[in-house]
Amino acid sequence: MPETTSSRGGSHCYVELRGVQWRLGLGILPSSPSPSIDDLRRVTANYRRRYAALRKQLLVDPHVPKDGSNSPGVVMDNPLSQNPDSMWGRFFRNAELEKMVDQDLTRLYPETGSYFQTTGCQAMLRRILLLWCLSHPEYGYRQGMHELLAPLLYVLHVDVERLSEVEKSHKDHFADKFDGFTYHENGDSTYKLDFKKFDGSDSDKSSAKANNLTELDPVTQTIVLLSDPYGAESELGIVLSKKFMEHDAYSMFDALMSGAHGVVSMAEFFSPSPYGSSLTGFSPVIEASSAMYHLLSVVDSPLHTHLVELGVEPQYFSLRWLRVLFGREFSLEDLLLLWDEIFACDNTKCKKVEAEESSNCGVLDSPRGAFISAFAVSMILKLRASLLATGNATSCLQKLVNFPNDVNLEKLVAKAKSLQALAAEVNSLNSIMLVHNEVKPASARGHSLSLDSSSYPRTLLNVVPESYWEEKWRVLHNEEEHKQGVGKEEVPKIRKGWSERVKLRLSRTETDPPPLMKTVSIKLPEEPSSVIRSLFGSDENKENSVCDEVVEQQGSVEVADKKFGSGEIPLNFSDPPSPIHGLENSSVASNSSVDENEAESCGTHREGCPPVGVSAVSNGPPSEYDIQNDESTGKSVAGVKERSFSGKFLWLRKFEQNGVEGATCEGCDNSCESSKGETVDQNTMVSLRNLGEAMLENIQVIESVFETGSPENGKVTAMSALNELRKISNLLSQM
Amino acid sequence: MVLVLALGDLHIPHRAPDLPAKFKSMLVPGKIQHVICTGNLCIKEVHDYLKTLCPDLHITRGEYDDDARYPDTKTLTIGQFKLGICHGHQVIPWGDLDSLAMLQRQLDVDILVTGHSHQFTAYKHEAGVVINPGSATGAFSSITYDVNPSFVLMDIDGLRVVVYVYELIDGEVKVDKIDFKKTTN
Repeated sequence: MPETTSSRGGSHCYVELRGVQWRLGLGILPSSPSPSIDDLRRVTANYRRRYAALRKQLLVDPHVPKDGSNSPGVVMDNPLSQNPDSMWGRFFRNAELEKMVDQDLTRLYPETGSYFQTTGCQAMLRRILLLWCLSHPEYGYRQGMHELLAPLLYVLHVDVERLSEVEKSHKDHFADKFDGFTYHENGDSTYKLDFKKFDGSDSDKSSAKANNLTELDPVTQTIVLLSDPYGAESELGIVLSKKFMEHDAYSMFDALMSGAHGVVSMAEFFSPSPYGSSLTGFSPVIEASSAMYHLLSVVDSPLHTHLVELGVEPQYFSLRWLRVLFGREFSLEDLLLLWDEIFACDNTKCKKVEAEESSNCGVLDSPRGAFISAFAVSMILKLRASLLATGNATSCLQKLVNFPNDVNLEKLVAKAKSLQALAAEVNSLNSIMLVHNEVKPASARGHSLSLDSSSYPRTLLNVVPESYWEEKWRVLHNEEEHKQGVGKEEVPKIRKGWSERVKLRLSRTETDPPPLMKTVSIKLPEEPSSVIRSLFGSDENKENSVCDEVVEQQGSVEVADKKFGSGEIPLNFSDPPSPIHGLENSSVASNSSVDENEAESCGTHREGCPPVGVSAVSNGPPSEYDIQNDESTGKSVAGVKERSFSGKFLWLRKFEQNGVEGATCEGCDNSCESSKGETVDQNTMVSLRNLGEAMLENIQVIESVFETGSPENGKVTAMSALNELRKISNLLSQM
Repeated sequence: MVLVLALGDLHIPHRAPDLPAKFKSMLVPGKIQHVICTGNLCIKEVHDYLKTLCPDLHITRGEYDDDARYPDTKTLTIGQFKLGICHGHQVIPWGDLDSLAMLQRQLDVDILVTGHSHQFTAYKHEAGVVINPGSATGAFSSITYDVNPSFVLMDIDGLRVVVYVYELIDGEVKVDKIDFKKTTN
C-alpha cells in the first residue's frame, strides 16, 4: 500500500492508514486538538450507532407489522395501495431507487477480480447509497454518487487488510487469551499463570515477540490501540473494523457529501438548484466551473480565451470532474493519492477581508475548494499544447473529456498546490461577474455580425434561453452597484434601463483585468481642435457606451488584427496604465473590440460609407498613443484607435454629414433610426443596441460636459444630448 | 417478495365493457411480477392489456374465450410454491371443493386458482389452497346472484403466501388479507 505523506501535525501515526487519515480530513474523526486514541474511538462508535439506527428506521420490510398491532386496515396497507405513506408504497419507492443504484453499481470498476464487484462489497455499497438517498430525499440518487463512495469503502477495506496483517505478525497483542483454558492437572507444580504454556499458537519466528506494547513501532502501536477490543467503547470503538466497515463508509460518505460543516459539499454538485447564498442563481456546478475558468484566465489567459472563443463552456467537461472528484480521469491508485491531497486540505470557509458574502463563488470557498479548482486548472494546462492546436470545439472537448491515463500525478498535484493560493485569492474576487463573463463571451462572437471567420461555432449560443442572459445581466448589475466606484454608477444604471429589452445581453469586463494582460488606457490629447475633439468626444462616448459588450480583450485584439491587417497595430500595449479607473481599463478593452462591432454593424446597416473624417482623425494619431492623465476629459480611448479607424469613419461620416457638435448626437440618432428602417430583416435587438448605445453616448457627453466644467460647446452638446435621449426614450416606448 | 395477480371471468365485451375504474387505477405496471388469468377474457384486447401489466402472463381457456389456443390447465412454480390454473367449467359440479381438490392432486400443486363461479372463495384443505378470484368485472353469472367485481393479489414470500382480496362493494374497494403457510413436506 503506497504511503502518503501527511502534513497534519499529530497524525503522523496514521500516515499509513488511509481510512483513518481520510476520516480525519473529512471531519468525522476529530482532528484538533490532537486527539487521543480514546477520543477517536468514541467518535467512531457514535457514528456507527447513528448509522445502525438509521438503517433500522429506513429499511422497510412490509411484512413486519408496525407497532406490533395489526396494520391500520388492510385497505391502507396492501401492495396495490395508492397511499404513498403505506409501507408498501415506501417499499416500492425503495425498490425503484435500488434499481437505479444497481444499474450504476454493476458498472463500477467492472474489471475482473475487482474488489468492487464482489457481492459483499456491492451489497454494502447498495445499502449505503440507498440509506443516504432516503435520508436526503432532496437530492435523490444521481449517477456518480457511487463513484464517490467506492474509493471510501476501498480505503477502509485496505486498512482492515493491513490490520489483519499486523494481527498475524503480532499475534499476542491481539490474542484474547480468555478462551479455552483448560485446567492442567499435572503433578509438577508449574505455575498456572504461565501464559506461554497455554499459548497454543505456533511461535512466530518471523517477528520478535514484543511483549511490551511500547516496544512496537508507532504505526503498529497505533493500529493495536485502535483495534483493541477492550479500549474505549470496546468493540464498537475499534476504529479499523471489518464488521463496521459499512457504518464507517456511510459516515465518510455523508461527511463528504454534506461537507461536514465545511464549505465544499459534494452534494451541492449534484443539485440543480442554486447554492445557498448565491446571487447568480446558477447551480453550484456551473458556478464552480466558471470559477475554475476564471482561475484559468488568470493563470493562462491565451488558453482561456482560446477555449472561450471556441465556445467550450467549462461545465461540459468539468461536470464530470467535479461531481466525481476526478474519479473517472485517473486509475484507482492515482485517485487515492489525489484524494489524500484533497482531504488533507482544510474545508473551512475562507475568511475574507470584508465580509462580502455575495462576492465569492460560495461552493468552492475553502482551501479544499481552491485546491480542487487549482487541480482542474492544472489538468487543463497539461493539455495546453493540444488544445491550442485545435480549432474546433468538439475536438477540444474530446481531448478534455478523454484525459490521458498516463499522466504523472505528482506533477499535476504539485502544480495544483502552487496554484492553490492563487485560486483562493481569485475566488474571493468578483468571481460572480466573471461567471457572467465566462459564460457569455461565446455569444459575443455571435453578435459581432461580421466578425471573423466561421470557424467559431455559434451553435452553442442557441442553447441559452433568453431570460438567462437578462437575469444574469440584472444580477451583474446589482453586483456592480455595490462593488464598483461611484464613477461607474451612471453607466450601469443606464444600461439597466434598456437591458430588459435586449436579448442576449452581455456583461462587460468590468473587473480587474487579468494580471497577465496589460491594458493601456490611452486618452485623447488635450488639444486637438475643438471640432475634432468633440467629434472624437462623441465618438468616444459612443464607444464607452458600448462597454457592456463583452469581448475578451485579447480576443478582440486578435480579431481586430485579422480584420484590418494594418501591420503597425500594436498588439501588445506595453505601457503601464496610469491611475485609471477600472472602468476605463475595461472600457478600453471592450471599446477596442466593440469598435469593430460597431463598425461592422454600422457597415451592414448603411451601405457605402465613405470614410470621411480621415483628416480629422489623422491629426489625432500621433498624440493618441500618449498616455495622459486626463482627468479633464475623463474619457479613455482604446489604443486600438488606429485599428478602429474604419469603424470611426463610419460614425464620423455621420457626424460630418450632419454637422459638428450637437449634430453628432443627432447623427447617431439618425443613424440609429435609419438603421432601424433599413434593416428590417436584422435583429431588432441590433437596432435596440444601437439605440442604447446612442443613449449612453449622449449621457457620456453630458458627463464629460460636466467634468470639463461646461465650456460653451459643451453646453450645447449637453442640451442636444438630452434631446436625443428624450427622442430615444420616445422611440423605445413606442416599440 | 413476489407479487402475483390472479383474476378472471371478465367477459369483455359480452357481459361487461371494462374493468371498474377503481381497479384499473390500482393496477399499474411495474409492481406485479406475474399475472394469472383463469379464463373468459374474452377478446384479444384484454389479453394485451393484461400483458402491459406484466409480461409474464398465464391464461387458461374459459368456455367463452375467443382464442382457442389457451390450454385447459396450466402449472407454474413461483418461489417455493407450485401453482395450478384451470377455468373450472370443466370440473363438475361447478365449485365443488372435493372435485377441485381432486384436480389439485392431479396437477400436484400447492395453490389451485380456478374461476367460473364469479365469486371469490378461498379454501384451505390438507393438500393445499384453492382460490377463486371471482370476476374482475362483476359480469353476470348464471350460477351466482349479486356478483361483485373482485380479484386477488398474492404475495409469495418464502414459505408464506399472503392473499389480498380486493372487492368492489357499493363502489368502494374493500381489501382483505389471508395468510397461508406452506408446511414443508
